Amino acid sequence: MTRRNSQTMPGNLLDRQLTRREFLIRAATGAILAPMVFPNLAGCRRSLESADVFIGRMGSYDGDIASIIFRGLGELAVSPEEIRGKRILLKPNLVESHIGAGHINTHPLVVRGAAEAFLRCGASEVLVGDGPGHCMDTEMVLEESRLGDVLIEDQLRFVDLNYDDGYRVPNQGGFSRFRSLVLPRTLREVDLVVSLAKMKTHHWAGVTLSMKNLFGLFPGTYYGWPKNALHFEGIEKCILDINATVRPYFSIVDGIIGMEGDGPIMGNPHHAGVLVMGRNLPAVDATSARIMGIDPKKVPYLAKASGRLGPIQEASIRQRGETIRSVRTDFSLVEGIHAHKGLRWSPK
Amino acid sequence: MTPSQTLIEGLKKRMLPDGGFAFFNGGSYRTDATAWAIIGLRSAGEGENLIEPGLNRLAGDQMRDGRVVTSPDAPDAFWVTPLAVLAWHGSERHKENMNRAVEFLLSTSGKHWKKQKLDPVAHDTSIRGWSWTAGVHSWVAPTSYSLLALRAVGKIRHPRAEEAARMLMNRQLAAGGWNYGNTSVYGRQLYPQPDQTGVALSALSPYVTKGEVIRSLEYLGREIGRIRTPLSLGLGLLGLGAWGDRPPGFMNWVRECVDRQNRRGIYNTQERSLLLLAISGNPALIEETAKG
Repeated sequence: MTRRNSQTMPGNLLDRQLTRREFLIRAATGAILAPMVFPNLAGCRRSLESADVFIGRMGSYDGDIASIIFRGLGELAVSPEEIRGKRILLKPNLVESHIGAGHINTHPLVVRGAAEAFLRCGASEVLVGDGPGHCMDTEMVLEESRLGDVLIEDQLRFVDLNYDDGYRVPNQGGFSRFRSLVLPRTLREVDLVVSLAKMKTHHWAGVTLSMKNLFGLFPGTYYGWPKNALHFEGIEKCILDINATVRPYFSIVDGIIGMEGDGPIMGNPHHAGVLVMGRNLPAVDATSARIMGIDPKKVPYLAKASGRLGPIQEASIRQRGETIRSVRTDFSLVEGIHAHKGLRWSPK
Repeated sequence: MTPSQTLIEGLKKRMLPDGGFAFFNGGSYRTDATAWAIIGLRSAGEGENLIEPGLNRLAGDQMRDGRVVTSPDAPDAFWVTPLAVLAWHGSERHKENMNRAVEFLLSTSGKHWKKQKLDPVAHDTSIRGWSWTAGVHSWVAPTSYSLLALRAVGKIRHPRAEEAARMLMNRQLAAGGWNYGNTSVYGRQLYPQPDQTGVALSALSPYVTKGEVIRSLEYLGREIGRIRTPLSLGLGLLGLGAWGDRPPGFMNWVRECVDRQNRRGIYNTQERSLLLLAISGNPALIEETAKG
């Protein structure tokens, strides 16, 4: 993993190198703002009929991830007013950690890049939180994934959502039989939630992207390890319920190196070289799926989200940045896995 | 201060004026924090006067059928019950609470079904253990906690205890170790986890021979030297200790783990309590078991 102690700000905003700490402090206090990257496009916000999705090419984790995300925010017409002074929760996908299997989790440098981008936009605080579905020892996931080092270096606060105090809210989705959901208290303390997902195949759900990533918001002390009540109630229904209830502000999918085959744990790394982002999670996931060579209409929870939570039809999604066809790279699917059957995308 | 003193003082700061413990500094009362803190403090030899208010508050939160839950508005999240049994164990004044909790455990199990031929999961889904929450499958940690609780109250040979031991053995990974409770899915053997391996080994010691868990002990023995996170180190040391395999230099690791708070942040009540258990050799869980 690359560690950076200093960096040059993109776009010639600054005329000298700042240390990371200096940069973050100045960003947090509003000394660094982006005067020209929010073109105030008349884009669609949370429409069910259409949405904008940005695809940024990023060949490796050594690149300037913050700048790509920053550019994406601009292309997607995120205005500084939406972010300035806000407390933002970045919710990465942390599942398990194993030496040599870094492609299981959202890469720490994507977390860093996202934090920098939102701080650069004037966020008052960016914190990071997740409740891994398989690991009681979240601290070990942080340590072995090296995200813990990044959090310390960048002085980003982490909240272990598995052990957070819970509060009950009505289930706004109504897809499962759950009348209410228990969410971590931290959600009440932040203004905006950003799903910071990993681009992976999934042996129960077909794909795991920004919508499925929200399972990590359910506290383990209420749902267990694994969060088995969600499986019994129906993974697809619960994905829709948590999305309808939390309604994240934004999502970024780490597809620089994703996972193909028997995801979300045992699959193989697959280099897709992209970051995919947008305000509408079904649209972002549909675009990510197409990049993976997967037909989102064949992924049951995305098909059900269509028209209810957001658009997934290709014609309804305005692609910014790269085109899907220029970055498409088929993720391998496993013949014996039921959820993978018939997923391959064959555009007309 | 020694690591034990640091941990004890840290737990005392989480004591609440009206009894019970918080999970974090400045937090509010929680049943899981209270049970863990009592188990940890008792293992460190702290007096009952320190523990008694917590025992009482835990008793006040026990539901009519004996279960103890994460929160009153989450009656399904009953995985705290075996921890409450271990907390009440040894307190004459809470014997009735403990017995009701044990009865609840014996009347409850995870959801089980006859293994289907084409089931993508490899383990035997019919063997009963305990679940984290109501109406779902049994998993390694809640089954291990419940087995430890039954052992502590002398029900070491109860049919449910024997079945739970079989369930845990069925979930042991072929290459050694345990994870949360799936051995293999769609033909792929999953990864072991030190914390789950530790708690399963702690629970199983009277039920199987060392040869039957030797690969797991070897896996944990290899891993434990590099682990400095409190939950995995604490449970890992408990697991090895249950089999007489606690490494001689373990206190240095505990010290490093405790000191690590300066960099990583303050540990929660569960983590502090598990480290105290690991330091003490775990009388709350293992000595009682040995009597059984």
